[in-house]
Amino acid sequence: MKESTNPPCIELVDVSKSFGTHSHKTAALRHASLGLFPGELVSLLGPSGSGKTTLLTLMTGLLKPTSGTVVLFGKVLASYTSKELQRLRARRIGFVFQTFNLIDSLTVLENVMVALRFGGKSVFEARRRAARLLEETNVAHLAKKFPATLSQGEKQRVALARAMANQADLIVADEPTASLDTANGRQIVQLLYGHAKKSGKCVVVATHDLRVTHCADRHFLIQDGVLSQSEGVIEPHPSINFSPTHAEIVSQSSRLPLRQPEACSQ
Amino acid sequence: MNPYTLRILRSQPLRLMLTVGGVALCVVLMLFLLSAYNGVADGSVEYIRKNNADLWVLQRNAWNILRGSSVLPSNFAQAIGNTPGVRSVAPVLLILSAIQKEKEIATVFLTGFEPGKSGGGPPHLAQGRSVLSDDEIVLDQAFAKKFDLKVGDTIKIQDFSMGIVGISTGTNAFVIQYAFTTLSRTQSLIGLPGIVTCYLVTLNDRDDSQRVAEAIRNTLPGVEVYDHEQFLQNNIREMQSGLLPFLYTVAVIGIIVLTAILSLLLSVNILERRKDFAVLKTLGSPGGFLSRLIVEQALLISFLGLKSGLTVFFPMVALIEWISPEVTTKTSVEQVTAVVVVVIVVSLMSAFISMQRLRRIYPMEAFS
Repeated sequence: MKESTNPPCIELVDVSKSFGTHSHKTAALRHASLGLFPGELVSLLGPSGSGKTTLLTLMTGLLKPTSGTVVLFGKVLASYTSKELQRLRARRIGFVFQTFNLIDSLTVLENVMVALRFGGKSVFEARRRAARLLEETNVAHLAKKFPATLSQGEKQRVALARAMANQADLIVADEPTASLDTANGRQIVQLLYGHAKKSGKCVVVATHDLRVTHCADRHFLIQDGVLSQSEGVIEPHPSINFSPTHAEIVSQSSRLPLRQPEACSQ
Repeated sequence: MNPYTLRILRSQPLRLMLTVGGVALCVVLMLFLLSAYNGVADGSVEYIRKNNADLWVLQRNAWNILRGSSVLPSNFAQAIGNTPGVRSVAPVLLILSAIQKEKEIATVFLTGFEPGKSGGGPPHLAQGRSVLSDDEIVLDQAFAKKFDLKVGDTIKIQDFSMGIVGISTGTNAFVIQYAFTTLSRTQSLIGLPGIVTCYLVTLNDRDDSQRVAEAIRNTLPGVEVYDHEQFLQNNIREMQSGLLPFLYTVAVIGIIVLTAILSLLLSVNILERRKDFAVLKTLGSPGGFLSRLIVEQALLISFLGLKSGLTVFFPMVALIEWISPEVTTKTSVEQVTAVVVVVIVVSLMSAFISMQRLRRIYPMEAFS
């Protein structure tokens, strides 16, 4: 675990999560432990169904663990009331999804404003900050457009603006670059990296994308619900279902250096 | 109002239009029922209300004239008139009678009264004058319109030709209309010259009604005497007992349909935006935010439905009354207010029903 003077945003201690009843119980996560510190970008690698999403939802308090302890911003998850958790998600946690999950009936500006309004901002303040965030993510010119008219890359930048709206202490991104081309993917990674490094926030990214892993401070591998930290070099794990493109990239650049910070900054 | 509410509704314009149309129809239905009821209520008892007799004397057990059989001898008039405190007595005979105009035939509630006496005649005259002789008749306005009859025309009852001398209003009881002629002609129509239905009694002093009523009861066994207010209420109650169950049934069906229409639309809107709502929950939407979206939708649809319904209602009623003159409506501010309140309550109820679906949307769904 990284040494840091700051307390972790999230700490998981021997966390397990099962679904189903006694007779049909499925373990989605087994005895996972990790800590995530401010200023850190952590990648979470694993094949589909390995437990990545379960881990992300545990980290954000959307699910409660079957056993073990989740500590969110210094407080044990179990001790949060549902209202406190709702406020926590609204004010301190940002979400980025693979399929963007923008609200189609709202304009780009309104999509970002929604998060700000949930965070307690007035309409005026929300409008002002949303406009600024759209500028930062280079989509200010799309403010009045509806998501259906945007490209994939534009959608994800809007989603990222929404996630950063309340200067979230933690951004959780689930496959944020999976639907994007190289250029757009790179921009998203750079924005996430910037949020972690410039703003000193925590960013955790579930991904298959090496562009993300190159920028990550640490990597966690997850398979069949078992979480492990990978040190040094990222290589395609035989059981991890990397896309051929990724596998090719990894294979061509064998012994890839873990971090290439110069490629991560904007 | 949240812009999302408007966008959700506007995203399916046809569905919105159909729903607003459905609400508007329910509004029109409810208002029409209430207005028709008021019209019928007025037409049914206006005769009694306007014939402001202090006492009504009928045969015992006949407590109203709408659906009560009362047969009294015509010579009771003298005994009643001799009772101390009585100023005048007007005998009235009510019978169902068929009116013939060429090949057309229709039934009226024929009211025979003595033209020289005060009381018993048409409550309001829209045209012409009241009856003066046996071969004259006053018809209800709706009846006259329906059969294209006017002052100066002649109709036949049995073998008697009678000229129409007046057109009355406030005499349309929806299923039947009043007509007025002389008492003697009415008696000769049924072939019983010595009978009447009731006596309308005017007193020297209305405050004396209890005592005079008791005196009449003592003098004439077998009669019942009602003061004006009680007799009016008797007839209203009788009219309501026939109409209100029907009215309530249709109104309840209307409310159920309205609730179903609104709940269906709101539920479909929730289901279609299930993912959006899951995302909003994930993003930390406050507890009331999503519920408020549903309530706002329900209220907005209700408002549009009410506006459309009220816009359509008055021209539609005028059209119905023109096509079917016997349909008489009377709309009041209280009725419109009642319908507005019902629609708002139903919309809130529908919103509440639909909100149950929100509980089954989980933030986790945003990750699927």
